[in-house]
Amino acid sequence: MALSNSSILGSREVGEIAEFRRQLWDWLDAHCDELAPTHPGTATLDDQIAQMQRVKSILFQAGWMRFGWPESVGGWGGSPMLRTELGAAIAERDLADPGLYSLIEVLAPTLIEFAPPALAADVVPRLLSGAEMWCQGFSEPNTGSDLASLSCRAVPDGDPETAPTWVINGQKVWTSLAQYSDRCVLLTRTGSADSRHRGITAFFVDMNTPGITVKPLEMINGVREFAEVFFDDVVVPADRMLGARNGGWGVAMSILPYERSACFWQRIAYLYARLQRLVDVVPGDDRAAEVVGEVFLQLHALRARSRATQHRLAAGATLGAETSIEKVLLATAEQTMYDAVRRLLPGVVEMDDDPAAQEWRTEYLYSRAATIYGGTIEVQRGIIARRLLDLGRDQ
Amino acid sequence: MIDSGERLLLEESVRAAVGRARGVGKDGAAIDAALAALGWLELLGTEPDAAVDVVFRALGAADATATALDDVIVSALGTAPRADLAVLLPGTGSSDPPGRTAGDRLQAVGLATARVDTAGEILVVCRTEAAPCIVTVPTSAARVREVRGVDPDGELRTVSVEESAAAAMPLDLAAWEAALALGRRAVAQQIAGACRAMLDLARGHALEREQFGHPIARFQAVRNRLADALVGLEALDATLAVASDDPRTETAALAKAVAGRTARTVASHCQQVLAGIGFTTEHSFHRYLKRTMALEGLFGSADGIILAWGRHLIASRRVPRLVEL
Repeated sequence: MALSNSSILGSREVGEIAEFRRQLWDWLDAHCDELAPTHPGTATLDDQIAQMQRVKSILFQAGWMRFGWPESVGGWGGSPMLRTELGAAIAERDLADPGLYSLIEVLAPTLIEFAPPALAADVVPRLLSGAEMWCQGFSEPNTGSDLASLSCRAVPDGDPETAPTWVINGQKVWTSLAQYSDRCVLLTRTGSADSRHRGITAFFVDMNTPGITVKPLEMINGVREFAEVFFDDVVVPADRMLGARNGGWGVAMSILPYERSACFWQRIAYLYARLQRLVDVVPGDDRAAEVVGEVFLQLHALRARSRATQHRLAAGATLGAETSIEKVLLATAEQTMYDAVRRLLPGVVEMDDDPAAQEWRTEYLYSRAATIYGGTIEVQRGIIARRLLDLGRDQ
Repeated sequence: MIDSGERLLLEESVRAAVGRARGVGKDGAAIDAALAALGWLELLGTEPDAAVDVVFRALGAADATATALDDVIVSALGTAPRADLAVLLPGTGSSDPPGRTAGDRLQAVGLATARVDTAGEILVVCRTEAAPCIVTVPTSAARVREVRGVDPDGELRTVSVEESAAAAMPLDLAAWEAALALGRRAVAQQIAGACRAMLDLARGHALEREQFGHPIARFQAVRNRLADALVGLEALDATLAVASDDPRTETAALAKAVAGRTARTVASHCQQVLAGIGFTTEHSFHRYLKRTMALEGLFGSADGIILAWGRHLIASRRVPRLVEL
């Protein structure tokens, strides 16, 4: 039986977070004009990126962006949940898209944990302050859920122990925001072709290095958020290696706790804001009440689960397979939420072209990916069956 | 507040006591006696949240019945619980006070546990035009009928009372809401315990039962059902933890609604995995299924709670966050 949360929380920490939230929200209220998007009409992706970087810059200058990050990279320390609160507030107030904003939660911790300290101290503040964009080069055309099969190759220029540079050849795909990015956290094959997770090495690559070609891909909702990235004899200094040679799997896996805690909480905050937007316009009948009540119930359960996970993480727990539970809950709740939009606003997603309808349509179509990205729902169920229910191997 | 170590000890001792008493007979009196010997009333007085969570979870897991729910409701209403005092529960699907007063007459219809068979008095909460009121009526004035229904072993009774309301005392609405909240948490915990038991049964069956030369646990279709059952159960446990950590009317109502939804999901997946054997009364699955079916309606169904929440969200045009980091 799960312990009550009360037994694992430090009440001091909860009090600090609540106080941080109160002060943050007061500050955001006071600066809402300055932070509000400046682009006219419906935002293009260019507009969204510019807005996000501007917001990060303002929040970094004001100090909010420094809470929860270690002092070694320009932060002010404190619980990582402080930065989760910031991300949630940004999502709730539509100051930046949570999917784009929360990339910092999967990229900055990687640099902090695996880059040479001087490199991390140099580049992480640039990411946090909005001076730079980074992307994550993991997936490949033949490497989706099965990440350990990746084949983008890195070869040392000489003895792997002493080579001053490595040469990278291959292709990445589904690389979010590659066309806007200054750097890439890249997974490469450095072992034999069949070395799976034992032969992967991570590099921190400057995107302006000769030999890198970025071709944006148009998603089902018309947005060119991600890209194919081609590497042709791309030369990378050896001191840009993240972690050990052939230690890239550990780098990739280290991201999971951040993705499944801070990023999820931010997305949940965003879904609450979207339910609010729906509740603002639905008819006042019982059919609508049943549908929004159902969405609310799912969001509540998901938020309860995510909270427990984050407090376990803060208390020193190592997150693992059990976070597949909230991955399934989040994907299901997100799709239920946008299904509710179609049910309660008939014709809006399908036919209308006003800015509100365009946003619903874009988001509805994007929500179909919730059961695909970050490990498909089938992969999550497989993990739950194998690791949490201990059902042994499947066929 | 008890710490996590004490809580684990409590869980262990309650589980063991319920397990021993469960074997004595199907009558809930043995469970009542075992809980009394463990100091149930003292625990309810000093640690009501932990007491409700631990005891009702254990009852659900063991497919056991007890009359402890009476103590929970009676004490939340501000009266000292005792074995001689039963309480009238709302009828199935309802979360309203079960009684109403007209002039100086009291009319009430609702459910009760088996305590009503032996108790001398019944506590009845009534709606009035203004605030609720509370009346203690002699059991002799009540018509009591055993509920057979889908779960005869659940030992519930339907009770109807017509009595003088002269002795009615005003009751704070907050006291009724607190009783409702604690009742909902108790039932939701009992459902969660039963759901966990159903999943354990289905999991064990999937690992043992062989078809086409393999344990059926090797087939993805089977694994996916069990995985989805666990997802639902974990979500229920998280909402129950919030309801315990932040005990409010709202968190208890939502936990009860999640319990109702989860019970149906878990039962349907587990029954399908158990297949033929789960369709028989030889296998214990059916008892858990029927128990959750009976419990789902106590203090309001999931559908009812969800509809009420949706109406509230739309009327206020405001979506609250009940959980913060």
